Amino acid sequence: MGTYILRRLLQMIPVILGATFLIFAMVFALPGDPLAGKCGERPCSAAYRAAFTEKYNLNDPLLVQYGKYVGKLATGDFGETYNQIKVSDQLKQRYPVTAKLALMAILFETLIGIVAGVLTGVRRGGFLDNLVLVSTLVVISIPVFVIGGLAQYFLGVKWGLFPVTVTSGEATVYQLLLPAMVLGSLSVAYVARLTRTNLVENLRSDYVRTAISKGLTKRRAIGLHALRNSLIPVVTFIGFDFGALLGGAIVTESIFNIPGIGGYIFRSIRSRDGASVVGAVTVLVIVYLVVNLIVDLLYGLLDPRISHD
Amino acid sequence: MTVQDTTRTDTGAIRYEPQDGVLLEVEDLYVEFHTADGVATAINGVSFELRQGESLAILGESGSGKSVTAQAIMGILDMPPAVIPQGHIRYCGHDLLTMDEEQRRKTRGPEVSMIFQDALSSLNPVFPVGWQIAEMFRIHRGMNKSDALDQAIRLMERVQIPAARERVKAYPHQFSGGMRQRIMIAMAIALDPAVLIADEPTTALDVTVQAQIMSLLEELQEERQMGLILITHDLGVVADVADRIAVMYAGRLVEKAEVHELYRSPAHPYTRGLLESIPRLDQKGQTLAAIGGLPPNLMRIPPGCPFNPRCRMAQDVCRRDLPALREVAPGRLSACHFAEEVIDA
Repeated sequence: MGTYILRRLLQMIPVILGATFLIFAMVFALPGDPLAGKCGERPCSAAYRAAFTEKYNLNDPLLVQYGKYVGKLATGDFGETYNQIKVSDQLKQRYPVTAKLALMAILFETLIGIVAGVLTGVRRGGFLDNLVLVSTLVVISIPVFVIGGLAQYFLGVKWGLFPVTVTSGEATVYQLLLPAMVLGSLSVAYVARLTRTNLVENLRSDYVRTAISKGLTKRRAIGLHALRNSLIPVVTFIGFDFGALLGGAIVTESIFNIPGIGGYIFRSIRSRDGASVVGAVTVLVIVYLVVNLIVDLLYGLLDPRISHD
Repeated sequence: MTVQDTTRTDTGAIRYEPQDGVLLEVEDLYVEFHTADGVATAINGVSFELRQGESLAILGESGSGKSVTAQAIMGILDMPPAVIPQGHIRYCGHDLLTMDEEQRRKTRGPEVSMIFQDALSSLNPVFPVGWQIAEMFRIHRGMNKSDALDQAIRLMERVQIPAARERVKAYPHQFSGGMRQRIMIAMAIALDPAVLIADEPTTALDVTVQAQIMSLLEELQEERQMGLILITHDLGVVADVADRIAVMYAGRLVEKAEVHELYRSPAHPYTRGLLESIPRLDQKGQTLAAIGGLPPNLMRIPPGCPFNPRCRMAQDVCRRDLPALREVAPGRLSACHFAEEVIDA
């Protein structure tokens, strides 16, 4: 187990280097002059130009620039934007908001999705089953900006059940309730269907028949023996979904005015702010890899047939 | 007077006592499967009884209804699609089919227990084997975890699993097929059931392991004086273990006899066909006699004797009249119009 984790961590190094290099190269290839408009209406002086170029290594070839960037990254320095704003400060401010939103969305989809999946799986073909089947289909087929807008209008503006937008910089849990539900709604549908399908399949399995013939109650045979097996793929899905949500949600963030990482990357790309884009993407790559590793380890714990030796 | 009387002391629970030595009585049982394509009659009026310490083998091809009979006794048929339109299954005089569900649940394990064909899929893959055996004691006896686990180790030792104490926390996939079936057996006998049903317990195993499992079952059955119902299609397996054999065909019992009598002189052409289809060393080089044709579609069982399309002796009467299961010799039942001729042949 220990060697497995070590091996996986070592494998992350080339992935991180590759991903950051690709992003770095793409930003490098973008046309444009960072000094244009820097000094107001007139062009910058030659002395300023030289100092600026020197400071941001703008005359170095791509590989050298990248090497210098990675060197600083290794010491935890994400560099700064051309406006002398430290990227790490921006990330520190915005990443907790994204993480909070992602966690709330995951809790929502896990709770509602699994409960709906179990209820429909146990009573196949009933009213609730059809209701969930249709409503998940609707949710899956409607794009998130429509759901977000509708939820905001009806639940927020018209009926006043939830705050309409996020107004403070740090985004409170209360303000994030509605966006989290909108963000999680698509995955609720998938989790519910995945749980239902797996439960229905496992209810027909031989070991559930054994559980019944052992004299267990139906509740225990289904709730423990069948469900435990049915949740293995569901947990995997939720884990990967969590990794994806931690990458920010541009659409949901912009609908609800959430100062998260998704909007930050979007704005940075538009304003050709290379340092911010590369820094943020680096963090996202690392988070995604770590979440993946945790999911794989969890999978081994849930299913003893998977071994990590 | 027997093992199981001493174990039922909890107050309020029903005390099950065999009546004149009879543990289980199946009477005129019917099981139908209602599907989109129509109604399949899987069991068509089957009756038999099982006595204390007796081994009854139920023999038949796939689709003959032998497994469905076992599942009906155990109460693990999927209903629907399965329907039991009539019949009785009495355990110590109590009809399991009319008993309330909670009461019946409590009979599964302590009174009637079952072993399945494929131990790998029948054991839960995500729980340790010891935990799965211990679950019996925790649910039915209210034992705490560690006591129950001790009992599980004791049982694993009883069914001769080497290093039971070390392996109690291992998972089903970490055992060989034979060891897994031993674990199934340990689980089934955990609460000293009076009736043990073994549904093709050795079909999925290597031949050498088959013999070990059968002798273990035989040993346990003798030790605990259980009534054993052995369901199989393998005539070779039953000869040593069974006392009596009931042969099923298309949902009906077609012959019932003491094991040696049946081997010596079968009283039904179907049984004889089965016996002739066993490969024998002294007939090397000869063509193996197989029963031609296939068992009937259970939605369209032919009129008359259900075996008549495959029977070499079939006459007009066989295509017209359903032969009743009748006594053709002392202690021997056969459902063939020409049973006397078959038995003398």
